[in-house]
Amino acid sequence: MYQSLLTRRYLTSRVMPLLAALAVMLCTAMVLIVWSVMSGFLASLLASGRTMMGDAAVTWPVSGIPHYEDLMSRLEAEPEIATTTPTIETLALVGLPDGEPRIWRLIGVDGESYDRVTAYRDTIWWKPIDRPLPKDRERLDPRLTIGGEYLAHALTLTEPDPATGAPRPAVVPGLWATGYNQRAPGGVAIPRFRFMPDEEVTISVLPISQRGAAIDVKARRFPIANEFQTGLYEVDANTALIRLDAVQEMLGMDAAERVTGFDPFSVDGAGDRFVEPEPAGVDPARVTTVMVRAAEGFTPEEARAAAQRAYAGFAAAHGPGVPDPSFVRIYTWQERDGVRTFIAAVKKEIALTVTLFGFISLTAVFLVFAIFWSMVSDKVKDIGILRALGASRPGVAWLFLRYGAVVGLVGSALGGAAAWVIVTNINPIHDWLGAALGITVWDPSIYYFPEIPSRVDPAAAALVLAGGVAFSVVGALAPAIKAARLDPVRALRYE
Amino acid sequence: MVHETPILEARDLRKTYRLGRARVPVLRGADLAVARGEFVAVLGASGSGKSTLLHLLGGLDRPDGADADSGVFFEGQNLARFSESALNAYRRRSVGFVFQFYHLLPELTVLENVMLGAMVGRGRLGYLRERAAVRAGASELLDALGIGRLSHRRPRALSGGERQRAAIARALVNHPPVLLADEPTGNLDRATGAVILDSLAEVRDRLGQTIVMVTHDPAIADRADRAVEIVDGVVRRHAGVI
Ligand SMILES: Nc1ncnc2c1ncn2[C@@H]1O[C@H](COP(=O)(O)OP(=O)(O)OP(=O)(O)O)[C@@H](O)[C@H]1O
Ligand SMILES: [Mg+2]
Repeated sequence: MYQSLLTRRYLTSRVMPLLAALAVMLCTAMVLIVWSVMSGFLASLLASGRTMMGDAAVTWPVSGIPHYEDLMSRLEAEPEIATTTPTIETLALVGLPDGEPRIWRLIGVDGESYDRVTAYRDTIWWKPIDRPLPKDRERLDPRLTIGGEYLAHALTLTEPDPATGAPRPAVVPGLWATGYNQRAPGGVAIPRFRFMPDEEVTISVLPISQRGAAIDVKARRFPIANEFQTGLYEVDANTALIRLDAVQEMLGMDAAERVTGFDPFSVDGAGDRFVEPEPAGVDPARVTTVMVRAAEGFTPEEARAAAQRAYAGFAAAHGPGVPDPSFVRIYTWQERDGVRTFIAAVKKEIALTVTLFGFISLTAVFLVFAIFWSMVSDKVKDIGILRALGASRPGVAWLFLRYGAVVGLVGSALGGAAAWVIVTNINPIHDWLGAALGITVWDPSIYYFPEIPSRVDPAAAALVLAGGVAFSVVGALAPAIKAARLDPVRALRYE
Repeated sequence: MVHETPILEARDLRKTYRLGRARVPVLRGADLAVARGEFVAVLGASGSGKSTLLHLLGGLDRPDGADADSGVFFEGQNLARFSESALNAYRRRSVGFVFQFYHLLPELTVLENVMLGAMVGRGRLGYLRERAAVRAGASELLDALGIGRLSHRRPRALSGGERQRAAIARALVNHPPVLLADEPTGNLDRATGAVILDSLAEVRDRLGQTIVMVTHDPAIADRADRAVEIVDGVVRRHAGVI
C-alpha cells in the first residue's frame, strides 16, 4: 500500500523520472507514427489498386477475348461474382493540346459497367462541390463553380459535338497525366493555363498482329470529358480512360464482317469493277480484359476461383474460337504484374522499419535503468527506513517496479497522445515544414500518394503502448532488485 | 519480576563486522534482559556497539552464530528461528525504531510519515478498510506529542525536536510493545532533549511501552529505570558516574 503513496510522491517531486517518461514517450510516439504512416501507405495502395482494377480479371492481352458478352453473363451467373465489365488495355502515344507528346496506358472502358465494378464515379475529379476543401480558404477550387455536365460526360465517356450536338467518344485522363494541373495547398487541383475538359488530344494506338507486330498506326482526336484521381500517383500520372467502342475500333477489335475470295487484282468480266467478296460471317468484337467485382462477402480469391470455373464453361461452349483456358490469365488484382511483388515489398519494409525502431526504442530501457539506478542510490536511506518499519524485500522491489510501470504508463500515454496528434495532422505539419523550412519529406511522385496517408491500427497502438510500459518495467527491474537486496543496516548507516 | 520471561533478551550476543580482510569484533557475548514495561538506557563509548546491539534487538540484522541458547529472544522466542517474513512482521508489530537523525521520508508530510508505519505490511484492501482508524490514531499521536498542527508540513519545514517527535509518532503508530531508540536526543539541545524525553515518558505511561534507549548523556540515563554500558563488547551495569 505504501508503494502507491510513494510512487505518487516520487513522481510529483522529482524531475528525473519525468525524463524517463519523456524517453518512453518519444520512443512510443516514434514507433506509432512510423507504423501508422506505413500501414496507411499500404492501405491506400490496396484501396487505390482495387479502385482501378476491380477484384479480379480475366485477360488475354494481344488478340483479346471474343464473345466476351457471353463470358460476362457466365461470370455474373456465379454467386461469388457481383458484376463484370469489359476493358481493353493498350499503350497510346498522346499529343497534348500544345503538341507535347506523352505515353499513356489507355484503358478502354464502358463507363456504366466500369463504374459498377470499380469506384469510377468517386474518382471523377471535375464535378460540382458545395463546400470548398477544408484548407481551401481562398476558394480557389474550380469545382465550386463548374456545372454538372462534366460528371455526366465522364460517366458516358462522351462529349457533345459543338457543331451537331451529337455525342462523340471522349477520353478521361488521370489528373496528373497531362501536366496541365497543379496542386495548390489543401489538395486543390488548379488548371495551370488550360482547363482540360475543354480541350482535345490526339491519340495514336498501334493495332498489333497475333504475333505482336505493329500493323499500323491509328490516330484520332478525342475531346477530354473529364479527369480522374485514384490517389495512386503512379496511376493518375500515366493512365487515361477512353470509350471502349472507340478504342475497339481503332485497334480493329470491333465486330467485323469476315469475307472470302477477296482478290484485289481480279476484276469482273466488264473489267471495271472489283469482284465483290463473299460475306462469310461476322468476326465478333473482342476485349483484352473482363474485370470482375466479387459479390458482397466474397474475397477476390473466391471471385477468381469462380471466374476460372466460368471460363472453363465458356471455353467448352466456344471451342477453339476463344483462348484456351490453360493459357488465359485469371488473377486477383493483387496478383497483377508488379502489384504482388510491390505489396509484398511494402509489407516487408513495414515489418523491418517497425522492428528497427523497436530496437532503437531499447534505448528507453537503458535510460529508465540509468535513472532508476541513480534513484535507488539516492533513496538508500528511505529504503533502510522502510525495512526498519517492517517492509519486506519483495515489497521494496515492487515499489520500484511499480514506479517503473507508472513512469512507462505516463510515457506511453503521452506518446500515444503525441502520436495521435501528429498522425491526424500529419499533412498540415508536413505542409508547414515545407513552407517554413523548405523541407519536403513526402514527394508524391516518389511515394505514389499526393497526401501522406496514415492509419492508426488500434491493435498495433495497444501493442506499442504496452511495449512502452514493458520496456520501462524492464529498465526498472535491475534497480528494483538492487533496492530489495540492500542490507537495511547499511542502508540506515549510509551517508 | 525475576521469574517473569523478559520481553526482550540478548543472550551471549556476538557480532563481528568484516572490513575487507580485517575482522572487527563488536559484540563478544553481550547479555541483556529487558522486562516488560522497563526503560533501559544503554551507554558506551562511541564505536562500542550500541547501535549494533539495537539493530540486533530490532531484528534488522542477524547476530553471528546464533544457536538455541544465544541470540535475541523476544518473549522467549529466538529471532534466529524466524523466517524472513516473520522477522518483517516482528519489526512491523513488535518493535518501533527511533533514530538519532529522525529518518523521515522527505517527500511525505508528517502525517503521511506517521501513517507509513501503518501502511507497511498491509495490503491495499486491508489498509483502505482501516484507513480512517489509522489516520485518527496517527493524528492523535501527533497531538499527544504536541505537533498535531504541523501534521501537513514536510519534514524539512520542521525543527529537529519536532522532527524527532514525528519520528516517535511513526515508531508508535502500530502500538509496538517495544521501542528502540538510538540516541533520540543526540542531535538536539538539552532543553529540547528534555521535552522529547518527557514526551516519551508520557507515551510510556499511557501505552506501557518497554523502552531501550541508547544515549551518551548520563543525565538522560538517570531518568531510566536502569542503565547499562557496553564495554569491550559485553554489557555491564552502568557505574553511575556523573
Ligand atoms: N558495516 C560495518 N563494517 C565494519 N565495521 C562496522 C560496520 N558497522 C559498524 N562497524 C563498526 O562497529 C563498531 C560499532 O559500531 P556502532 O555503530 O554499533 O557503535 P556505536 O556504539 O553506536 O557508536 P556511536 O556512539 O558513535 O553511534 C564501530 O567500531 C564501527 O566502526
Ligand atoms: Mg550509534
